[in-house]
Amino acid sequence: MAPSLEIAGLVKRFGDKTAVDHIDLNVPQGSFYGLVGPNGAGKTTALSMAVGLLRPDGGRALVHGVDVWEEPLRARRLMGVLPDGLAMPERLTGRELLTYLGQLHGLSAEEVDGRADELLAVMELDGSAERTLVVDYSTGMRKKIGLATTLLHAPKVLVLDEPLEAVDPVSAATIKRILKRFVEGGGSVLISSHVMALVEELCDTVGVMARGRVVAQGPLDEVRGGRSLEETFVDLVGVTIGGGEGLSWLAS
Amino acid sequence: MVGVLIRMKLAVLRHSTTDAKMALSGLGRTVGICLAVTTLVLACLDFSHPRLLMDLLAVTFALWALGWMVGPIFAGEPALNGEHFHRQPIPRRTLAMGLLAAALVAVTTAITLLAFCALIVFAARLSRAAVVVSVPAVVLLLLLVVLLSRVVTLLFRSLARSRLGGVVTATVTAAMVSLSSFSWVLIIGVSLLLEYGFPPAFSTVVRALPTSWGLLAVEAAGRGDWPWAVGPLVALAAVVVALFLAWSALLGPQRTARPVVRGSSAHKAARRGPLFRGDQGAVYLKELRTWWRDPVRTQGIVMGPAFSIITVLFPLIFGFTAGFPFVGAASALMAAATCANLYGQDGTALWLTLTIPGKEKADVRARQLAWLTVFGPLTLALTILGCLLHGDASLVPWALAGTLAALGGGSGLLAWVSVNALVPGPDPHKSKNSPMDHGDVTGQSFLMSFLVALVMCPALGVAWAGHALELPALLWASVPVALLTGVLCHVKLGSVAARTLRDKGPELLHLMRSGKPTSTTEGTGEDADTSPFTTMSGKRQTLMWSAMAVGILGLFPQGLAPLGIKLSGSPDKVWFLALHVPEPWQWPVIAVMIVIGLAGSWGAYLVYRTEKNRLRAAPLVASGTRG
Repeated sequence: MAPSLEIAGLVKRFGDKTAVDHIDLNVPQGSFYGLVGPNGAGKTTALSMAVGLLRPDGGRALVHGVDVWEEPLRARRLMGVLPDGLAMPERLTGRELLTYLGQLHGLSAEEVDGRADELLAVMELDGSAERTLVVDYSTGMRKKIGLATTLLHAPKVLVLDEPLEAVDPVSAATIKRILKRFVEGGGSVLISSHVMALVEELCDTVGVMARGRVVAQGPLDEVRGGRSLEETFVDLVGVTIGGGEGLSWLAS
Repeated sequence: MVGVLIRMKLAVLRHSTTDAKMALSGLGRTVGICLAVTTLVLACLDFSHPRLLMDLLAVTFALWALGWMVGPIFAGEPALNGEHFHRQPIPRRTLAMGLLAAALVAVTTAITLLAFCALIVFAARLSRAAVVVSVPAVVLLLLLVVLLSRVVTLLFRSLARSRLGGVVTATVTAAMVSLSSFSWVLIIGVSLLLEYGFPPAFSTVVRALPTSWGLLAVEAAGRGDWPWAVGPLVALAAVVVALFLAWSALLGPQRTARPVVRGSSAHKAARRGPLFRGDQGAVYLKELRTWWRDPVRTQGIVMGPAFSIITVLFPLIFGFTAGFPFVGAASALMAAATCANLYGQDGTALWLTLTIPGKEKADVRARQLAWLTVFGPLTLALTILGCLLHGDASLVPWALAGTLAALGGGSGLLAWVSVNALVPGPDPHKSKNSPMDHGDVTGQSFLMSFLVALVMCPALGVAWAGHALELPALLWASVPVALLTGVLCHVKLGSVAARTLRDKGPELLHLMRSGKPTSTTEGTGEDADTSPFTTMSGKRQTLMWSAMAVGILGLFPQGLAPLGIKLSGSPDKVWFLALHVPEPWQWPVIAVMIVIGLAGSWGAYLVYRTEKNRLRAAPLVASGTRG
């Protein structure tokens, strides 16, 4: 069985800096994969290349065996993608946005309306928020409408960059439940995060990135080996935790 | 504070300068220095009319001030603004002082200062006392224009957040651009002025402007009239202080709420009319909603027509109405020039287009159609209205052909330029409270107006041939020719743009995400498809844009426009050089101007082609050295 997402030797350089250095990742079918790493480890760059938003300098990304860069049209149908912090068609309401995207995905009118109804209700973006334009959404609402757009066309794999950042606990619980149901139904999810607790709670497989490389990956329990993920992470990334020294002038 | 902010500004500029930006600002600087030197030379000239020199200088200073006010509307916000510091515990007055000092450290300020030294030159011709008065006058004048520019930017910024404010901003901007372009009258029509001077009413108005007060003071000092030498200076200082206080008051966070535009209800959002079915229909509906709801787009809608209408109204002073029929064509041209940053404006929203399978073509086509829907009926109505008001049927084919060619050419070039010369700026949701905070689209607007004007040439050429050979059928044939070139442009360039979007989508997204083009394509063999505009060296860009500017100036305002007027048999000379020389020389001057214009355009094209060839050859050379 082909993995739902396979990344083989992806490389990206920006000038002299190698942001992603020949990484290999395997997201098995039906798994909930968490990609963790400190800020600047190359998570966003790696995910952008894996979903076709940033052209790699080398390497391949395959979704259910379909090359994202060779056969983009087939690959895009299989994926639901949510990048972090990017713009959307800002002058549409949530429903208008979902209707627009549903139409482009080739769904029938009834299907689009039905799915948009359900998605808006689940994300609590209907009712009083019905006529609010996306440009006026709060950060949490933007995340939720973004997630709704990724689910709309019923993809097989979800690739989500920091899906729960800046989302309130209630909405976060909703999103987590949706994602868990998606995996139970046979879908696969790849999320990036730097919140270890979240990854431990949701994911069955983890990958750890540092300085553009994958330093460990595998089933969660194997990677953390009886410790907490945070301890393992600090060991793997090889950093010392700052904040103990200096700053004597602060609150003195 | 002052030193810190100056260093900070220099650091920001150092880090945000790209090759293309350097080239454009280099070109701008050259033009600026030329204008400043012209102003200085003006102050040295002798005129038969004693009042004329002062009037000319007053008008010139007013034009400089106008330039300072209009500049930021195209070039975006200054490098440092109050928003950057609103969380720091700095008193506003101190912050304003620091920002003012930082604003003064700029090439533009230096060039303006050079121009304003004309006041000292003027004083030197009067008396030593006048020179003493002129020095503080120059300083105050400089402070006046810099502060005026900052205050106007802030006012526009808070206005432009609403759609109604967008209309006001666009109209005022259009009026200022139009007024500035009237400096033609000064430069070309100077022979007229030499004979008669300015009308007294005009010179009274111009002298009443604060930009002329320094001049009044200097002149009075020259006469030894001390109350009149000190009075205007004190008044000018008071205006400067008032502007400074207004600016420091406006610097803080915005206190008025942004008017919120509401979307449609659930019922309406789900309804689809027959026009909005299919891929293209979906994008088309999204675009129309955006045109209707986004204040920035409102500004775009109003700008072109407002500029054209104001521009044809000005020559009414001379009783010249031949511009009326062309108001629609000019609107279409301006609309294309000011709305060409289609994808740049939407920012990183491009990711959605890139993750949906194969909808690039529908996206481009729908955007073209939405632009045509917004501007097509509007400009055609303006053309018809203009023709009716003017009443001369002989200009109708010209006007119709011009409008149709500009609309078709505009919709095609718009798509092409928006992907090939994209100007990145902040994402719309990040700049929703500061709509003036956008990329510098000056170069893109110039490029667009040049290209659209080029597309209008075949149709207008046919019209000209028809007129010259006195064949009405041929004259009217320009209309179908315009339609044909328009449709061709729309279809062909739209397809090319869609292909570029498909092939270079990730690169465009990266450009908008990071504000810089990808620098890592070397060695991957992709260079052949990179746009020459992004890779061209600073020197070459300067060369290309200058050649293009010469091309536009020679071909249109100084070549084809007087040609049209001469052919229409109108006795008006307006501000066209060719019409002011003696009769036997008029045709040669027009011909020379057209040749200069064509040469300029050709030169620009040559530079572009060389760069393109170099890009094609580069990967081969690279692989050759590797192998």
